[in-house]
Amino acid sequence: MSPSAEKQKSDCILDELKRRQRTKEVVDVEEERVKVVIFACGVNLFAFYGRDIREILPSCDISWVPSLPDYLPGLINVRGDIESVIDLRHFLGEEKGDGSKRLIAMAVQGDFRSGVMIESIEDVVDIPLSTIHPPLATLNGAARDLVIGEIEYGGTTISLLDVGKLAALVAL
Amino acid sequence: MNDESDIRIDLLLFSVCGVYFGVDAGQVTGIAAYNGEQADDLFWFHEVLEYGDATSTYFSPTVITIKTGGVPSYRVIIDKMEDIVDFSQNDIRLFPELLEPFTLRNGMWGIVVKDDRMILLVDFKRLLRDRMDVNAQRRGDKK
Repeated sequence: MSPSAEKQKSDCILDELKRRQRTKEVVDVEEERVKVVIFACGVNLFAFYGRDIREILPSCDISWVPSLPDYLPGLINVRGDIESVIDLRHFLGEEKGDGSKRLIAMAVQGDFRSGVMIESIEDVVDIPLSTIHPPLATLNGAARDLVIGEIEYGGTTISLLDVGKLAALVAL
Repeated sequence: MNDESDIRIDLLLFSVCGVYFGVDAGQVTGIAAYNGEQADDLFWFHEVLEYGDATSTYFSPTVITIKTGGVPSYRVIIDKMEDIVDFSQNDIRLFPELLEPFTLRNGMWGIVVKDDRMILLVDFKRLLRDRMDVNAQRRGDKK
């Protein structure tokens, strides 16, 4: 094989690789991505859109208030602001456990603002919008009211929950 | 410097089953130790506030008489009366919007934070008025 032919072959490969790289860059730029916060509630993993979670608070004292329904365990003091707390397990059909060791995710969407009790934060990831699939038709009744989609994480499918739907449920 | 528009309120502070409460001292016309009496106008605080299944233990039960203004007298058994403290309206926070429908229905209208403790403000007159309205509505519905 002549040196000129070899050069041509390497040029072809190089061109092809560069073309693929350019295409990938274009795809990367065009693909809309969203941040999601993956967390454990009960024994299962769920996710919220990152834009709806203002901060994660370490386990803090919840002041119980009489006459509230079970899914509202009480009040917390966040740097002087008094906030409500929602027990998400009530809506997801998860077992109740020890509330004292749980974290609180501050959820904010529009006029809605509340702490949401969770077990732990698993991850915060950027995912392509296209990887969010419609909710499974087989989803059980309790969780179905909150789920906005399904995403893949660590080889399993987890439910993406909507803070707006949670706000609507709690306000009922 | 005093802010003349500031409204001040004397709050009678007490706790019942580990929850701290404050009531406008101006609504209270009498305070006496509970002597085991049972009467139609005498109510346990945890029953009035609908504590639900929570266990209710009183260490030093005290009867407070509420100024009702016309309607029959109203007495409530509270626990561990602690202090009467003057607060400014600026010290009082609203309940979060999510909780307000539940708390207002039960006479709880605000919160003050003192020594890192949340004190729930109870208005017995409001509670009594709302309960009477509900009862009147129920009677009307039955007709």
